[in-house]
Formats: sequence, structure tokens, C-alpha cells
Amino acid sequence: MQNISFTLNGDHVEATVKDNCSMLDFLRRDMGLTGTKKGCGEGECGACTIMMNGDPVNACLMLAAEADGQDIVTIEGIKLGATLHPVQQKFIEKWGLQCGFCTPGMIISAVSLLKENPHPTEHEIRDAIAGNLCRCTGYVKIVEAISAAADVLQEEV
Amino acid sequence: MGFMMEGRPEQVRTHYNYLEKIYKKPEDFEIIGKGYTRIDAADKVTGRAKYTDDIYLPGMLYAKFKRSPYAHAKILNIDISKAQALPGVKYVLLGKEFPNAGLGTYAELDTAMASEDFADKKPLCVDKVCFIGDEVACVAALDEATADLAVDLIEVEYEPLEPVFDPHEALKPGAPLIHSNNVSTRNVVVEGDVEKAFAEADYTYSGHYTTHPIYHCALEPHACVASWEEDELKIWLSSQCFFVARHWIAENLGLPVEKVRMMKPYVGGGFGGKVDTYPNEMCAGMLSMKTGRPVKLVLSREESFFATKVRHPFDFDLKYAFNKDGKIIANRTRSVSNGGAYGGSGLATAFLSNMFATLPYEIDNVDMECIRATTNLPGGGAMRGYSSAQVHFAHELQMDAIAAKLNIDPIELRKINAIHTGYVGPMGLKIDSCAFTETMEKTAAELKYEELKDTLPEGCGVGIGSSGFCSGESHPQLDEPAYNTVNILVRLHHEGYATIYSGVNEIGQGSRTVVSAIVAEELGLSMDQIRYIDSDSTTGFWDSGAFGSRCTLFAGNAARRAAGNAKYKLFEFYEKQWNCDIEDLMMKGGRIYRKSNPEIGLSFGEAVFRCEQEQVALQIFGEGTFAHDDTENFYSQNHGNQNPAYSFSTCGAKVNVDEETGLVDIEDFIFSHDCGMPLNLRAVEGQIEGSAQLSVGYVFYEEPKYDKNGKLMNPSFRDYRFPTALDMPDKLTSYFVCEKDPHGPYGAKEAGEGSTGPIGPALTSAVNNATGLHFTDLPLTPEKIWRAIKERDAGRKKDTEKETKE
Repeated sequence: MQNISFTLNGDHVEATVKDNCSMLDFLRRDMGLTGTKKGCGEGECGACTIMMNGDPVNACLMLAAEADGQDIVTIEGIKLGATLHPVQQKFIEKWGLQCGFCTPGMIISAVSLLKENPHPTEHEIRDAIAGNLCRCTGYVKIVEAISAAADVLQEEV
Repeated sequence: MGFMMEGRPEQVRTHYNYLEKIYKKPEDFEIIGKGYTRIDAADKVTGRAKYTDDIYLPGMLYAKFKRSPYAHAKILNIDISKAQALPGVKYVLLGKEFPNAGLGTYAELDTAMASEDFADKKPLCVDKVCFIGDEVACVAALDEATADLAVDLIEVEYEPLEPVFDPHEALKPGAPLIHSNNVSTRNVVVEGDVEKAFAEADYTYSGHYTTHPIYHCALEPHACVASWEEDELKIWLSSQCFFVARHWIAENLGLPVEKVRMMKPYVGGGFGGKVDTYPNEMCAGMLSMKTGRPVKLVLSREESFFATKVRHPFDFDLKYAFNKDGKIIANRTRSVSNGGAYGGSGLATAFLSNMFATLPYEIDNVDMECIRATTNLPGGGAMRGYSSAQVHFAHELQMDAIAAKLNIDPIELRKINAIHTGYVGPMGLKIDSCAFTETMEKTAAELKYEELKDTLPEGCGVGIGSSGFCSGESHPQLDEPAYNTVNILVRLHHEGYATIYSGVNEIGQGSRTVVSAIVAEELGLSMDQIRYIDSDSTTGFWDSGAFGSRCTLFAGNAARRAAGNAKYKLFEFYEKQWNCDIEDLMMKGGRIYRKSNPEIGLSFGEAVFRCEQEQVALQIFGEGTFAHDDTENFYSQNHGNQNPAYSFSTCGAKVNVDEETGLVDIEDFIFSHDCGMPLNLRAVEGQIEGSAQLSVGYVFYEEPKYDKNGKLMNPSFRDYRFPTALDMPDKLTSYFVCEKDPHGPYGAKEAGEGSTGPIGPALTSAVNNATGLHFTDLPLTPEKIWRAIKERDAGRKKDTEKETKE
């Protein structure tokens, strides 16, 4: 067992976790944050993508113990106060989702991309979400949504 | 078992005709065709949407399967004592504890689909196992790790039997018997005079085509939570067919059906893979009853591959008879499909493959036989565009070959034979709307097909493919009345909103949204003024499921009727109040008013309130149901109009083949779809784009690999790769070339499944055009393409040497 303290969606969290507990299981089972999905548990599908210090990581490939001292954001922490993040808003408007299972991970990857690169090309968007598998949409409307969100974020700057 | 409908009385067919005069007309539409967003989108972008695995109940146990390591073996003994003794293990379940009804998808389906083994899969194997991964025991424990340990402690003694994996081998006399008979289903269709047509035809052409299996790969693994509480078994299930699952759960657990309550969580994709009922829900349910605690059972990704279903692989031998003008007059087909170990939804493949072969061309003389063989591989089942993707792959490439033989333009050949509105096919399919020819013209024009097909340099090519599909498949028999219906209830509230109670199966395709949009449209409300109760099986209404592209057509019609029925009640009141004709009334913009004098009107809420007050607080409900009436004899006679409507589509692609690597780059991808009236363009485009991803994977990327013992060697997204955002073409354009269908809500037909049909042949045809080769077998892996190019070049070199010598 290990004691960890870290920031989770802006809140300070202290917890005791098993050495072999994955960050994904910890978030879903112990923190009740089920927005982060388990599609494979092997780091292949990206449905469990969370942000650690601003970078996207697969929660299933990370131990909960590794969160110690880090800044973690999950899909539940993406909203800007009471309003949706522009990426979330554009996923709704552009129909960038169907079954929705890949959506939380997809949005985290998109938000991370736009922080690093506010003016991504279509290829850069596709590259940023290449680790997030989607079986419903063919990615077309997801790419469109991320591109539209980039435009909104640019206007806001 | 078996509920046979002997035809429906005329008043059932015409029951809702009185609503025609009050339905909204296109000129008054505020929502339909105008663009709206999904009602579940906000839940899904915030992580609030709860899927089955997101449900954590107090005291919940976790369940895991013990699975067979043999493809075919007798079970001699199962020793669970060590597993039972492990601390934290609460129950070890064996097959003998079930009433053993078996898992079916369809019940007795008469001769067309009959099989002794229609419910051949048991919740847990008792006497023998039939594929690697077959479920033998199930453990419930305090946590998943303990359940895994216990599974390893279960000792099963087997007597291995000779397995058979090849469907042709399985059908030979003396092959190892898997169930009572290795012919799972056989379907034969003989219509017209095939002998005469072949005797009189100018030409014949024979082709052999093969397709491979693929997996559904819904991002959400199969999952179930069961909880025995309040004297009923509550089941949260990742399913496409909640009400059918309820039937089989009750049968297998020995419960009256009313004691099984199907809850409806969000479902993370299905694609046909969640049509079947699986041992998962049977075992989770039984374990909850045995332990008195909630039980969660979620398949690992690995299990979601090998322990579910595949798209059936097919071998087709096609022989066409045709005349020199290009008219095809007869089709003789012999096809064999590998059905794997069990039946379930897979039983339909033999008859569906024959039915889809009667679309989209007018070929009146047919002699088709399809056999689905049982083997010791994981079972074949329903998958998006069920059987049609395989059938159209074969028939479209056959069309290409005939066009080449006759030296007719491939589009022209298809036009000569194309189905048009009013056609009745050899199996009895009635085509009441069809813009098929227009889809070909649109795709060819946008792709510049005619210009490019003979002028591109080697390595570049264009191809087209077409297909027809059913819109609103029905299955008329199960131990439930009116199995193929959808029922919806709409309630009007004086606070100014309406509530929909519906059992429609939302799996991500947007069925809840389309139902809400239709109700909002008819009532003149905004989408925000609609509350949608996704009814569970106790509070809601029968809906047989999300399959056969039936949601928009069936549920859409039921929704329009339910809203129309409520609206009619309101109109009956106000036609008297305002002393006008009922056809003079309109609901639009949140109001009800007289069209001839819009000043005379009330807000929706006030109108409902006054109506309720005057009629002693009578609350206004509307009910709507939809059933397709032409199917009564379809399954027994293999003839009839199985579906209310049919969609048609043509795909075109331009590809560049890298001759050094065999990799194919899709430069341009055009899709024209006759989906009737598109109710929401973005929703329909999304369906086509999703079909494109699945089909690009089908053709170029995806292939399960089984070893010599029948073990799946690539059960992970790493080794079974489907297209990522980088793999998909940047340019993917959909066009809607639509003829409104008289049976669809506002003229709508399906969009999500038929679109898988033409893509495989279009891409293959483009590769053939680019390479000068003649691929007729899927998948087109880079290795296969590369080897074929090397052989082609070696052949050319020989030819050159020969010419030089001469």
C-alpha cells in the first residue's frame, strides 16, 4: 500500500492505494469518476485517456501510485466552471459522437492538443487522436469538431 | 414454443390512417431536416453517461469465466473444490444448475431458417465444448483478482475430440459431428425458369469469391450487472435487443418473464455483436440469485474478441446467364458460410444472403443455395449489413467481370439491370421507392469515373460498387405476441412539455434522438420541451431490438403515430371550441392555432391545461405502434415482402497502390445513398462515415488469425488493427440521392447498414483497376497485393522475353 497526494480536477486528494492498482481502476472504482472508460486495459484504445500535467496518458497503463504529486484532469474536470469546454460544445454541435464510449478519451486528447498547438492542421488533429479508437464515426465529424473548437479558442484569445 | 401470426385483420393495418390529415407537411417542418443535436450528447461529452461497467452497487461481486482450451472435447469431470475453498470466492457456477433451455436469438423460425440447434448454446457447457473459449464454469468473488485466481483452480478433465474448422470439410460425410448435424442452416430459393434462361442466354460467366471473418470491435466490451432485489432480477446489459434478452434470461434461469427486469444503460456500440444473448447475462443473473448480491461480469478485450461473434466468412460460386445487350437473365449461386460453433443470430445468414442477392438488380430467374456450416471456430453472427457486405462483394465483382467480358461500361451494365420503383423481386420483395440509378450517376459524376477509369497511370485506379439493403427487418415469431412491433407512448403536460415512453434500443446510432425529433415536430415543440423516458422492460413497451435497420423506420413511425394520436385528441377538443375543421388546426412554434386565422390559438401548455380542465382532468396520452404486415409467411415459404422499405447506394473510390509495399492510399471516397428522406443530415452522414471505417478495415486491415488448433492468435487491438484517424481517407463525401418512401416516417429509410454493402467491392474494384489484377478474395492485405504484383511483373517479364525470342 502507498500513500499518495495529488490534484484531481482541481481538488486536493489524499489516498492510500495498492501497489498494483491501476490509475484507471482507482479513478473509476475508488474516486467514482466513471467518465474515464475501460475499452481494453492494454493501452491500445485510448478510451481511458486522462491528462497528467497537461499531457494525455492512458490511465490503464499508469499505476495509481504514480499520480503522487501530479496534476490529474479527467473528463469530469474539463468543463470550464459551469459551461462546457469549446471542445465539448463542438462535439455536440458537429455530431462528433455516436455511442459515446470513446468520447471522453477523445476529448481529453483534443484538449491536450489544442493547449500545445492552438492552430493544428487536419493531419495534426488526426495524429493527435490516432491513439483513440472509434468504431462509430469514421472520425470525420470528430476531426471537424476539434477543428471548429480550435477556431473558437482562437477567437477567445 | 412459437407464436405464429396468421395474418392481421384489416383494421390493424389501417388503424392509424385517420392521422394522415393532421400530420405535419414538409412546408411546416421546424425540426425534421433542419438540423438538431443528439439528446444524449451532453451526457456523453461530460462523462456523465453511465454504461454497464459504470454501475457500482453496494456489496457487488465480480464474475469470471472458466473457458475451454480445446476446440472440441468431451467434458469428463469438473472439480471446483479448490476454487470454492479460496477465500473471497462466493460461488462457483456450473452448467447443470441451469434449466438448460439454451441461448437463442430467434425461436422456431419454420423451414426457411429452421435448425434443430436454434438454441444450441447453453449458458455453461455441460457435456462438451465446441470452440476455444467456450464457457465451462463461472466464479463470483469479492474482486476480479480473486475470481481470476479461482478460475485457475477449477480443474476440468477433457477427452479431446477431433475438431473441424473448414466449413467444406465439416459438410463432408464422416466429418466430426459438432451438434446433431453440421448443417446449421440451409436456404434454397428457386424462382423463375433458370434452366431455360441458361439454355437461351448468349453468354454465361462463373466466378468464385471469398470473404473473411471480422470482429465488431465495439469500444465498450460486453458487460452485464445483475441484481436480485425487490423479488425480481434486475439486469443492466450492453445489448442491442433488451426485450429478446429478457425472454432468454427468463427461460434459462427458470423465471417467469415478469420477474426479469431489463434496465437500460447507455450502450457503447453494437454493430450486430450485441444482438445475441450470451452466457454473460445468464451467469451474472444466476450468480446474483445464488448469492443474493449484485454481480458484475465484464468481458476483457481479449474475451470480447474470441468469446463473441464474427461477421460470417463466405465462399460464393456465382454463375450468371446474360445476353449480349448486357441484360442478366439468371443467377445460379452456391454459397457456403462458416457459421462457427453455434447458431444464435447466425442462423439468419443463409436466408439473408439469398435475399440480399435479389437486390439491387432485376434478375428474375434465380437458383440459390446457401449452407451455413457448423465448425469449431467462434460463432458467426449478425454484423452491420448482415450478409449484405459479403453478398454484394461477390455480385458486384461479378458485374465488373461481365462488363469487361462484354466490353460494356460497368456503370452502363448496372443501369441496364438496375431495380426501379415498383419492382417486385423474385423472392417477393416489393420496391416502393428506389433511386438506385441516381446513386450510380451521382457517384460516377463526383468521382469523374468515366474520365478516369481508362486514363490513370498504373498504380492509380477507380472503382465503384453498389448495393441494396432492407429497411426495417422483421422477425415474426417468438414467444411474445407481436414480436416485430415497436410501441411508443407520448404524454402531453400542461406545464408545456411532452414525455415519451419508449423501449427503443439506443446503441449509439441515435434512435432516441430521432424519436424525440419526430414527436417534437408533430407537437410543435422544441427538442428541449421533450422528456425521453428510456423505459426498462417493466415500465416500458416491447421493442424487438436494434437490428435490420429498423429503428428509424419502425420507431419513427410509432413515434409519429403516438404524437399524432395525442395531437388528435387535442384537436378534437379545439375543433369544437373554435368551431373549425380539424384540418385547419396546427401545432407549431410551441402553439396550437387555426391555420386560417393564426390569432386564434393558445400556447401548448395552456391548450393542454384547458383541455384537461374541461374534461375533468383527463390527461392526454397518445399511443403509437408500428408493425410490418407483409411478413406472415415469409419464413415458412421463403417468399414475401420481408421489409417495409429498401435502401440503395453506390460507392466510388480512387486509390493509389504503392507497388513496393502493397499499401493502398484512398485518395477520394464518394458515397451516394438513397436513404429516403434524411431526417437529419449529420446523423445520416455519420452512419455512412462509420460504415466507411468499418469497411475500410474489412477490406484492408482486419483479419482474425486462428492457429491449427482453432485458437485466435490476435485478440487485441494491437494485433487485430482497425483503422485509426490517420488510416482513414481525408476526403470522404456523402451525397443523398433520395426518393421518399411511402412506408417511412416522412419518407425516411435506413442509412447505417446498407452503407456497408457497396464499399468493399468499390475499393476492390479500384485496386483491380489500379493494378490490372483481378482480386476476388478478401482481405486485400498489403502482403497479398504485393505478392500479386510481383507475380504479375514476373509474368510480364516472361511475356516480353517470349516476344523477344519470337
